[in-house]
Amino acid sequence: MNVNYPSDKVQAAGAAVRIRRLEKRFQSVIAVDGVDIDVSAGEFLALLGPSGSGKTTILMSVAGFEFPTSGSISVGTEDLTYVPANKRNLGMVFQNYTLFPHMSVLDNVAFPLKMRGVPKAERYARAEEALATVRLAGYGSRHPNQLSGGQQQRVALARAIVYRPRVLLMDEPLSALDKNLREEMQLEIKRLHAELGITVIFVTHDQSEALTMADRVAVLKDGRIQQIGPSRELYERPANLFTAGFIGEMNFINVTAEGSGGNISVLLPSGERWQLPASAAVEPLTGCQKAVLAVRPERLQLGDAHNGFTFRVKVDDVVYAGSASLLIGTLPDSTEIRARLPGASDLSALALGSTAVFTIPKEAILLYPGAAQ
Amino acid sequence: MKPALDRGSLALGAYVYTVLAFVIIPLVIIIPMSFGQNDHLEFPPSGFTLKWYAEYFTSRGWRNATWLSIQVAFLTAICATLIGTAATYAMVRGRGQLASLFQILLIGPIIVPHIALAVGLYLFFQTIGLSGTVPGFVLAHTVLALPFVVFTTAAALGKVDANFEAAAMSCGATRWTAFRLITLPLILPSVVSSAFFAFIISFDEPVVSFFLSGVRQKTLPRRMFEDIEQNLTPVIPAIATLLIVLSVAILLGAYAMRSRARS
Repeated sequence: MNVNYPSDKVQAAGAAVRIRRLEKRFQSVIAVDGVDIDVSAGEFLALLGPSGSGKTTILMSVAGFEFPTSGSISVGTEDLTYVPANKRNLGMVFQNYTLFPHMSVLDNVAFPLKMRGVPKAERYARAEEALATVRLAGYGSRHPNQLSGGQQQRVALARAIVYRPRVLLMDEPLSALDKNLREEMQLEIKRLHAELGITVIFVTHDQSEALTMADRVAVLKDGRIQQIGPSRELYERPANLFTAGFIGEMNFINVTAEGSGGNISVLLPSGERWQLPASAAVEPLTGCQKAVLAVRPERLQLGDAHNGFTFRVKVDDVVYAGSASLLIGTLPDSTEIRARLPGASDLSALALGSTAVFTIPKEAILLYPGAAQ
Repeated sequence: MKPALDRGSLALGAYVYTVLAFVIIPLVIIIPMSFGQNDHLEFPPSGFTLKWYAEYFTSRGWRNATWLSIQVAFLTAICATLIGTAATYAMVRGRGQLASLFQILLIGPIIVPHIALAVGLYLFFQTIGLSGTVPGFVLAHTVLALPFVVFTTAAALGKVDANFEAAAMSCGATRWTAFRLITLPLILPSVVSSAFFAFIISFDEPVVSFFLSGVRQKTLPRRMFEDIEQNLTPVIPAIATLLIVLSVAILLGAYAMRSRARS
């Protein structure tokens, strides 16, 4: 690698990744369908989507294990689209650790340096250093099967960063770990990212993982990007119905909407009519059309809070879960409504089968053209 | 309290011991016969002598046959292991649609009667002048040994995570280096044990050798059949006993290899 590291590594260690009109077909199946992504140097990008959404194929194309049908991939100023995997100089962490079982931990971590012809003494010194970076100093003489899953994944991380690649690729690296370990590793990876300033592309199907770890999240479905943006934007203003339903929980109510001037008037199934601000419409509305009103369960308030619209819900179930309670109910037209109420709420009036009044604050409402399933 | 033996488990026990007896009895008969003093085969043998062993080791004909068989078996082991391992790799790791056709072709020699293969190879080798030569025997035996190599290494390769090589390549290794440094060491015990199998299969092979042997170039099994037809002296059980010892040693070696692989 002909990259000079300035004294301040955090500034310049990462490289920008540009993915242009990427397309990948497997026979008649289109796995990736015209994807454009710009990852800036040092950014942490998560690729999030259900299985079959193409997120892994995109990562494998960047890694060099799949060659795209068309489109291009470049890292820094280099076009890597058809460069073999072993010439890309990218770090990669796989789902199942993939530590070489017949080598010691130190030999595993030193392996990339060995492939680059680094002399033995230097490569062991640098491997020790990388192990210390992932807080496994002194584990070098062990064998991978003597380590726990979390430790193995940290060794894999050390192996991926030991030669200071400009980009680190991670393919669902935490999905094999149990919940506590996963949270610990999430912090560990974030810390490493901040410390090394490396560009990270992280594939996951776990949305909370994507939202908590990444600077930006790309939501994928059927090989296409649905939305790409910071976590907060994704959660608070999903760009379309798919993202709205995929990220977090969302209530959907089918309505008829009519835009006029700065206001939008929606007709609810109950026959009520609400006047919404124009900002509620995620996509501009034209005339009178079918639309979906979306609202997060935690935005619903019990009782009339005098700051929005009120509506009645028949209570079907109340689930107490400590910090919050989940109320499941139905509207008169049998649309299901969920509400997350703070743990301290007084729920004594909510007998099953009774009717409760809820308030939706005006600014919590989003409106999408189309219809919910 | 010890449960009473019921008829079912008695019958099962009897069955198991009968099968074992059928397997063991020929060995128990052949070994004493090799020490008999008379010039013809007899059981139980009378007297005790090592002269049949001496004859085997001193006779030029037996020595030549043995040396040919060893050469052929050794080269077969190498060829079958190299080709078989490479083919298995392609079969297990390859994404091609030809993989299943490939698999059938590779294990074909087990299904095709050896006599059919032998006749075919005989006619073919006659015309191209390979009949009765070391390369001819090695080629033929390699075909016969390939399925066993493929079975043994495919089982081992199937247990090695394909992502190991991907990981090695992401570390900068070429595909060949990744195979050499990662996959091969992990399947090596099975590869070595399949080489042992190939050796035994070649060393012990009578049918194809019968057709391919020339007047002077005879493998040990071919020579033994000749001797059975013409003389039938206890030198045959003597050689059989030596072969049993050799086979057991090789099988134990292969077993040790594989149990090392498992630990």
